[in-house]
Amino acid sequence: MATLDRRQIGSVLAKQGILIAFALFMIAFTAANAKFISVENVFSVVRSSAILGVMALGVTFVVISGNLDLSVGSMMSFSTIVVLDLHDKIGPALAIPAMFAMTLCLGAFIGFLVGYLRLNSLIVTLGMLSAIHGLTLTYSGGQNMDIADKEGTWFSVFGQGSALGIPVPILIFLALAALLGLVLARTPFGRKVYAVGGNGTAATFSGIRRARTVFTCYLISAGCVAIAGLMQASRSLGSQNTVGQGLELEVLAAVILGGASLLGGSGTIFKTVIGVLILGFIQNGLLLIGLPFYVQFVVTWIIIILAVWLDIAAKRGRLLSPIA
Amino acid sequence: MKIRTILATTTAAVTFAGAANAEAHAEAMTIGITQNNVGVDSYQTTYERAFIEAAEANDMVETVVLDAGGDVARQIAQVEDLIQQEVDAIIIWPTNGEAVIPAVRKASQAGIPVIVTNSNIAEAGFDFVASFSGPDNITQGSRSAEIMCDRFKELGIEGEARVVQISGQPGYTTAIERAQGFEERLPEVCPDVELVETQPGDWNREKSQQVMEAFLVKYDDIDGVYAGDDNMGVGALNAARAAGRAGDITFVGATNFAVGYEAMEAGDYWGSIYQSPVDDAEAALQTAIDVLNGEEVPFLNYFDTPKITQDNMSEFTKPVF
Repeated sequence: MATLDRRQIGSVLAKQGILIAFALFMIAFTAANAKFISVENVFSVVRSSAILGVMALGVTFVVISGNLDLSVGSMMSFSTIVVLDLHDKIGPALAIPAMFAMTLCLGAFIGFLVGYLRLNSLIVTLGMLSAIHGLTLTYSGGQNMDIADKEGTWFSVFGQGSALGIPVPILIFLALAALLGLVLARTPFGRKVYAVGGNGTAATFSGIRRARTVFTCYLISAGCVAIAGLMQASRSLGSQNTVGQGLELEVLAAVILGGASLLGGSGTIFKTVIGVLILGFIQNGLLLIGLPFYVQFVVTWIIIILAVWLDIAAKRGRLLSPIA
Repeated sequence: MKIRTILATTTAAVTFAGAANAEAHAEAMTIGITQNNVGVDSYQTTYERAFIEAAEANDMVETVVLDAGGDVARQIAQVEDLIQQEVDAIIIWPTNGEAVIPAVRKASQAGIPVIVTNSNIAEAGFDFVASFSGPDNITQGSRSAEIMCDRFKELGIEGEARVVQISGQPGYTTAIERAQGFEERLPEVCPDVELVETQPGDWNREKSQQVMEAFLVKYDDIDGVYAGDDNMGVGALNAARAAGRAGDITFVGATNFAVGYEAMEAGDYWGSIYQSPVDDAEAALQTAIDVLNGEEVPFLNYFDTPKITQDNMSEFTKPVF
């Protein structure tokens, strides 16, 4: 009886290796500085992680479908710059849908190349990373964008507002996570995404329209990027052209950290959220400890690799690879 | 620009081939420039525009304007291209103070004088450089420390104030020098003010805002923030505003941006260093022309970057970037 219990506990733990890692880091950082766990700090970390987080939600779909999206960072710069520029030209009520339309067009273009033309997603999105950066610079002429009247616009609500005492970016992040989590886990479309990523050929033979599924994943990713850009623009009401630069790798790290496989076919929205939070809390925790920043670069990634190892080790039930 | 310049050179060559007077040809000088990363921020964008305008206004100067897009390898290739094109002088805005030295040496050995603009290369390369034209970032850092200290004295808190610093991109010369100037000068003018922590904001407003949020959680008492440029300074200000603590804090930056100027007008941001990309670009071009004309040019050819605070800001026009 006792052994059975232990096995049950073991199998529960094995599925939640990343959660255990998360809990361990939280305890360690709190021990180092009690302010780490204060409501104020937790809100501030989740609020700043929300932008990265929303992008990671979309990329989770792309990764589960067996593809990559490295263009999200420069696409986020694009949507931020566009919405800030249009805000002063046509007003926020029109600027937001216009920006969404433009960003979705970019997503549709990538989805077309990867889905319908079956081009390699790494090359396509790596190329789009540069191309969209160029597009942003061409659009803005390289100038920083700033909203002229920063006090008198309701546009700031998406990044700075709060409802029921909770900052709006957190609400957007959680609501979107819940929605996309349901789509992925509970709808036919979600099952198609797993099927296409798990075994594309088998999916095709079972009547799933693979190209359309991949296309839709990139549309979802672009939609998430547009929301992230909106939050970013609203948070600082001004931006340089490189605001999203490098975020694509952090987003991918969060998704993989959450346990999605780069080969496709596995991953969940919930685990991506945990991956995002781990990244955000590590960076904040190291700041609060006050490590010199040259050391922080090293320590951040040591912790991330440690977390991935804990996750894998829990799944295997042993620390080393069985083959090692 | 590049195509037009090549066309212009060709036309000039044809004209001069027919003319007996070869001296006129010798006087027209071709200056190549390879910039760091135009478009990455408004400063560099304005710099490029001002440089092209200044060159166009001068009949004696032809230019080849290139941009490395922040990529060291591309910049090295561009310097080699300029050597191949046999330009008369090369202006370089280094993407990296160390990595470009071999390329600079190559140009210098080919007999082409190299002028470094905006941020200097590492000392190991000084032998191959005709002149450095740009702001004195160490002085800027010290001036920011003086602005901060003077303000603390006005407020009567120079005996107890605590300051945090948000520096620029780690490893970037401008970031290192401004931090150095600030850290050395502050204890000289305000010995009792404590610099409690420095973290990088990577010249990025959003990153700076996150760093400041962490500082605000960590320290209950912050009296001053020094940011390596106004873009990051405004990020820090946004964070303090959101936490309702902006009123208690003196914000001092560097490279006065339009957003910084506006925040000063609004009374939220105390001071900065006025550095015009137009002055920067014109100084670089002029230094190159002077070097080619054989004039005495100081090795470190700084242009002045004065202090700007809420008190004297009316003497300055709002920055265009």
